[in-house]
Amino acid sequence: MRTHLCALFLGLVCCSSYDFLSAGDSSTRHVEGLHRHLPEVFALTEVRIVHEPGRVTESGTVVVRDGKITAAGADVEIPKDAEVLALSGKTIFPGLIDSYGEVSLSGSNTRPPTAYWNEQIRGEFSVRSDLKRDQLAAPEFRKLGFVARLIASQNGILRGQSAVYSLGTEELAQLLLRDEVALTGELTIPRRNGDRDQYPNSPMGAVALARQAMYDAIWYRDAHRAVEVDPSLRLPEKNATLAALVKSLDGGRPVMLEAANELFAMRADDYAREFGLDLIIVGSGNEYRRLAEIAKSQRPIVVPVNFPKAPNVATPESARSVSLESLMHWDLAPENLAKLHEAGVEVLLTCHRLGDRSQFLKNLRIAVKRGFPADAALAALTTVPAKRFQLAEQLGSVSPGKLASFLVTDGDLFAKKTKIVETWVAGERFEHEDDDAVKVQGDWKLTLRGVPRNAKKILLLNITGEDKLKAKVRPHETLPKFEKAVELKTISREGSRLSGQFLADEFGVKGVAVFSVVLEEEASEWLGTLTWPDGTNSPFVMTSNEDQSSKEKDAEKAGDDSQADENSEEQKDDSEDEKDKEFQQRTQASSFAVNSPLGAFGRDALPEAPKAVAFVGGTIWTSGPEGTIKGGTVLVEDGKIVAVGKQVDIPEGTLQIDVTGKHVSPGLIDCHSHIASDGGINESAQAITAEVRIGDFIDCDDIDIYWQLAGGLTTSNILHGSANPIGGQNQVIKMRWGGNFDDLKFEAAPQGIKFALGENVKQSNWGDDHTTRYPQTRMGVEQIMRDELLEAQEYAARREAWAKNRRGLPVRRDLELDAMAEVLAGDRWIHCHSYRQDEILALIRTLDEFGITIGSFQHILEGYKVADAMAKHGATGSSFSDWWAYKVEVQDAIPFNGAIMFRQGIAVSFNSDDGELGRRMNQEAAKAMKYGKVPAEEALKFVTLNPAIQLRIDQYVGSLEPGKHADLAIWSGSPLSNLSRCEQTWIDGRKYFDASEEQQQRKQFAEMRNTLIQKILDTRAEMLKDGEENVDESSLWPRHDEFCHTHDGHGHGH
Amino acid sequence: MNNIRVIVCMSILSASAFGSDQVPGRMPDGPVAIVGVTVHPISGPVIENGTILFEAGKITAVGNEVQVPDNAQTIKGKKLHAFPGLFEPYSRLGLVEINAVRASNDYNETGLLNPNVRANVSINPDSELFPVTRSNGVLFTMSVPSGGRIAGQGSILRLDGWTYEDMTVVPGATLVASIHDDDDVVQMRDFLEECRRYQHAREANSETRHDVRYESMIPVLEKTLPIIVHADRWEDINRVVAFARDEDLKLIVFGGYDAPDCAELLKKHKVPVILSSVHRKPLYRHESYDAAYTLPKRLADLGIPFAISGYERSSSYNVRNLPYHAATAAAFGLSEEQALRAITLSPAEILGVADRIGSLETGKEATLFLATGSPLEADTQIKRAWIAGKPVDLSNKQTMLYKKYQQKYRE
Repeated sequence: MRTHLCALFLGLVCCSSYDFLSAGDSSTRHVEGLHRHLPEVFALTEVRIVHEPGRVTESGTVVVRDGKITAAGADVEIPKDAEVLALSGKTIFPGLIDSYGEVSLSGSNTRPPTAYWNEQIRGEFSVRSDLKRDQLAAPEFRKLGFVARLIASQNGILRGQSAVYSLGTEELAQLLLRDEVALTGELTIPRRNGDRDQYPNSPMGAVALARQAMYDAIWYRDAHRAVEVDPSLRLPEKNATLAALVKSLDGGRPVMLEAANELFAMRADDYAREFGLDLIIVGSGNEYRRLAEIAKSQRPIVVPVNFPKAPNVATPESARSVSLESLMHWDLAPENLAKLHEAGVEVLLTCHRLGDRSQFLKNLRIAVKRGFPADAALAALTTVPAKRFQLAEQLGSVSPGKLASFLVTDGDLFAKKTKIVETWVAGERFEHEDDDAVKVQGDWKLTLRGVPRNAKKILLLNITGEDKLKAKVRPHETLPKFEKAVELKTISREGSRLSGQFLADEFGVKGVAVFSVVLEEEASEWLGTLTWPDGTNSPFVMTSNEDQSSKEKDAEKAGDDSQADENSEEQKDDSEDEKDKEFQQRTQASSFAVNSPLGAFGRDALPEAPKAVAFVGGTIWTSGPEGTIKGGTVLVEDGKIVAVGKQVDIPEGTLQIDVTGKHVSPGLIDCHSHIASDGGINESAQAITAEVRIGDFIDCDDIDIYWQLAGGLTTSNILHGSANPIGGQNQVIKMRWGGNFDDLKFEAAPQGIKFALGENVKQSNWGDDHTTRYPQTRMGVEQIMRDELLEAQEYAARREAWAKNRRGLPVRRDLELDAMAEVLAGDRWIHCHSYRQDEILALIRTLDEFGITIGSFQHILEGYKVADAMAKHGATGSSFSDWWAYKVEVQDAIPFNGAIMFRQGIAVSFNSDDGELGRRMNQEAAKAMKYGKVPAEEALKFVTLNPAIQLRIDQYVGSLEPGKHADLAIWSGSPLSNLSRCEQTWIDGRKYFDASEEQQQRKQFAEMRNTLIQKILDTRAEMLKDGEENVDESSLWPRHDEFCHTHDGHGHGH
Repeated sequence: MNNIRVIVCMSILSASAFGSDQVPGRMPDGPVAIVGVTVHPISGPVIENGTILFEAGKITAVGNEVQVPDNAQTIKGKKLHAFPGLFEPYSRLGLVEINAVRASNDYNETGLLNPNVRANVSINPDSELFPVTRSNGVLFTMSVPSGGRIAGQGSILRLDGWTYEDMTVVPGATLVASIHDDDDVVQMRDFLEECRRYQHAREANSETRHDVRYESMIPVLEKTLPIIVHADRWEDINRVVAFARDEDLKLIVFGGYDAPDCAELLKKHKVPVILSSVHRKPLYRHESYDAAYTLPKRLADLGIPFAISGYERSSSYNVRNLPYHAATAAAFGLSEEQALRAITLSPAEILGVADRIGSLETGKEATLFLATGSPLEADTQIKRAWIAGKPVDLSNKQTMLYKKYQQKYRE
């Protein structure tokens, strides 16, 4: 019987010191009563020391004195005063650092009087000011080998200052290793922020606010500097939040931003670059999906070690809805760390986002098996964070001078069965219970003395169970075994005491007997006392009965009960094997390479760009001066059209594509769309949000991009919604499926902004709680537009004046007014949601007053009533082909609207405003022929040249003319026939969609799905249960505007 | 046609009045003959240079050699094509005017169980949506309530008439039910159990106290009233088919996205499918972009009876775009004939009215239109239409506003 006393906690470090002459104080705390000076000197001998990754002493000694390591190595003299702990067979590793953890701190909600105006910006808040000790969860983390944690606040966008704590048992003041380590935050709205009226209420708004806050910090710094130089200036405000943010500007105090997926990580990098921030990304585990971009950012990343459960593929029905993306993620996620390491990314590790922290080491070991070098894994937990958090003097390695914070294992840290035996935190020793500690499970014999009459003298006890013990007791003489066994009512263990209760009726005394026994280390017998129901106390000796019990097993065929017992034992072994097997299988390499976007229809690389390509022999709808050319050719070189016509000389070496019998049109353009954005579409918490940018949230993974590409669409205008009079900035994209979000942006497209009029902005259909925000009438809408333009005019003038003479306080950079000033300067085009003729006319008059020409009216459903005024202003109209009747202001909408505006000389387009409709814009164009008899070529321009004109990109796209981008679609018949199909779509001379190739891809992706489903079934991987989902952090925020209203019971409000 | 112009001019004066300005057609005095027209009967092959003869609301002859009576009003159909009125099998037409205005919505009764309510009694014949819808050849619809576990009964309507009674073809054509999960099945079973108890008691004892809910369920139990249940996913379709089989109910599946996966089950239990839209995105990210477009073709190949609806794109104001759903199905594999059938005769068959409407055949209701080409193509113009033999005013609020504002720019 191997037993030794197991205590969770032996040492205690106080502020005392052995060498009192050379020792100062480490605390100001008053000591009440007697002074306590427990010597704290240890020598850990005969131990393998991994000082730091790559530096090992095979057998040496570590000397710990007063919480610090004073010596570590092979030839170390053991101090005479040291308590020697021989640790042969054990290994010491530097203590692990958890590089990011969040706690909810209510104190962060108490805003100081000098705080920033918006409560989501909390730079002044410090974790140190509110953290409670139990929030460190130190005991749990110590068990995992951690000795320090970085703690961040959970609330807000810029959430305040994080701190690193040691995980000992002292006062927090003593545990705080480093305060104000980094400003932390997340560039999206706080999760489950249900308050629609609080700005920001969209991820886009959150980025805009975080950006403005940093510009305000710059202003704050400069304004106060200006006052120092010239004390006669008016004093700028004192702002605790901005003062704190200033410290992070220009590579100052690090900034840690959470990134819910790889796209958020790239956005965080963009943000950091704008202000020269020293960024540490708190990652998601998805980084492998955009590895090149992530690596290029050269940002260190704190990576969680959470791997998804396998999707539920247990039945054909459930497998039906499982995406290839989720299957591949299951397969690839354990390789994320290896891939990041290989790409040269500096990795730190965290338990953050790990549902069950006890899985940390297991998962990390899987990651190591999957190619993450063990040294890198150790570094990511020790030296790297120590350096990043400027704690290298204290933590990171087992070497003299550092804190005695390390862990002791019984083997290689990343080997499967290795256990962490002890964790030392700044000299405090914590031993962990493990399977080899005093074991109470098994068969025992209790020999009692002084029993009542008729009571049994010898009891046999069988104890099972891991965390929760179970036990049975029976008289000694019963055969077969446990026939008369009685289940104990309770059995529990507290420290070195085991106690239990059982019904003693079968043992001679009616009632409940209770007993307890003291577990002694390395003793062959334990002593205890049993109190019979009649009150008699019987001392007993508890000894092992294993030998006897196995003899019994041999001697007899056990009864039903024992059989059940054995079965459960076997089951336990089975499940051990099962776990083992899962571990082995989870360490199988991934089956498929990462594609972009991950999953079905993702690409391995962007499509090839042939040097020259000619489309020969088709009906060419140029949408240009050449009209429609039958049997024509389009010649493309370097992504640009060089010739279009019947007679085109095709240079040698040109890739020729026979389009005989086919039709070729310019790539279709949608002037009003909300796909490919995951930033919420509407920032609706303020009437004016010109500072908000769709471009911050281009979602290059949105499958709508591919689906619309398959309908011949090559360019799309992604607009902010219509929830406020002046909404956010739009982003024109090309449908370069497979690229990242910067690849998608139409670089040459001029900037724009969304305006909106009518019911949506005056909150007519928002419900009864929304009746006070200005404006509530079309009168107010007209005035707020005018007022904002006047404000921007003055702002621009003040900025210019200050830039010229630099006198006085600096003029604060205001991102909202910046955008409006650009509108005034003609550098930003207005795209205005509009319905009724009065509001259309009123806006035209307002813009005329400021000399602004509108970019386009959107929807413009009553444009037909004021088409003459529109034409005179130079307005264009981007309309629905035939929508009407879904609300009051669209009662007079008519499908002839496009034709009437067209006949008044207005550039008219039909748009989708709808992800599904955007897949067949050619069918929409055809409706211009139906309603108002617009000639076919002109009708096609409603989705080609005219939207290009509206977006001021017609010199690049919109028609097939020499010099323009080679964006085109190939159709099986006339693009204006509902019976035609798009067969190919080209952008910049690259083929992004090919219907015939897709037939192959379908098979390929179906096979990939099958392979991975087989892999899950074959490895018996743990699957999600019905209704269970892997938490996708990025889906916790509204991708689209969750406040929008339905039209027609479907879709969102328009 | 002159008549129509007069009406247009008059109605401009009252453009803002509630209620559409179009006057329901009058029954012609004698027979009407459309001659020299390309007839698309749907039930049979196309007849070039054919004649359609109808009288008192019924078709009396269709073909190449139809004798036109002397007293017939003759309409020359040269260069035109005749089609039976298109049939949207699932919409909210007449039950909603302006979605955003609650007062104009009449499709969702409160409570979970409303088997007794019928759509047709709250159809507003003066809805502006009717003239707009029929101007593109959509002349029939089944208008359905929604909401709750049992929303009520859908009514088959013809899109012209002075009253809802004029418009009603079948007041209760289907019972609209919702079954999304196993709990719904249990709840529905319990309710059916109660209905059976009521049915039994009522049959045994005529003095059993009345209950309008249970009473309205008797045709469902007797399988004369089918239930229509929205189910797209494989397991959802399996669930409702099993439910209908266990409870011995007549079922129509609405939605039907995964119907090909359940083909054998659907065929075995003779369950037809109304596709809730052709213009919809794939339900699963990993599916082909055209999965919804090719669905009709796949169902046709599997031999599952189906009809096409446009409900998911528009349940009311753009029901007129129904033929374009069929067109996309034709672009992606279905023949044009099959596509047209899916929006005419097939819905009539599935909804149990194929003996009266859905095709151009002798004895059927004379609900048809003349067009410059196939209604599947957007640039096709609808020239004339009759509903139950009465000429239809194809103008609508939108054409009137068009004409009105053309005046503005003429000055």
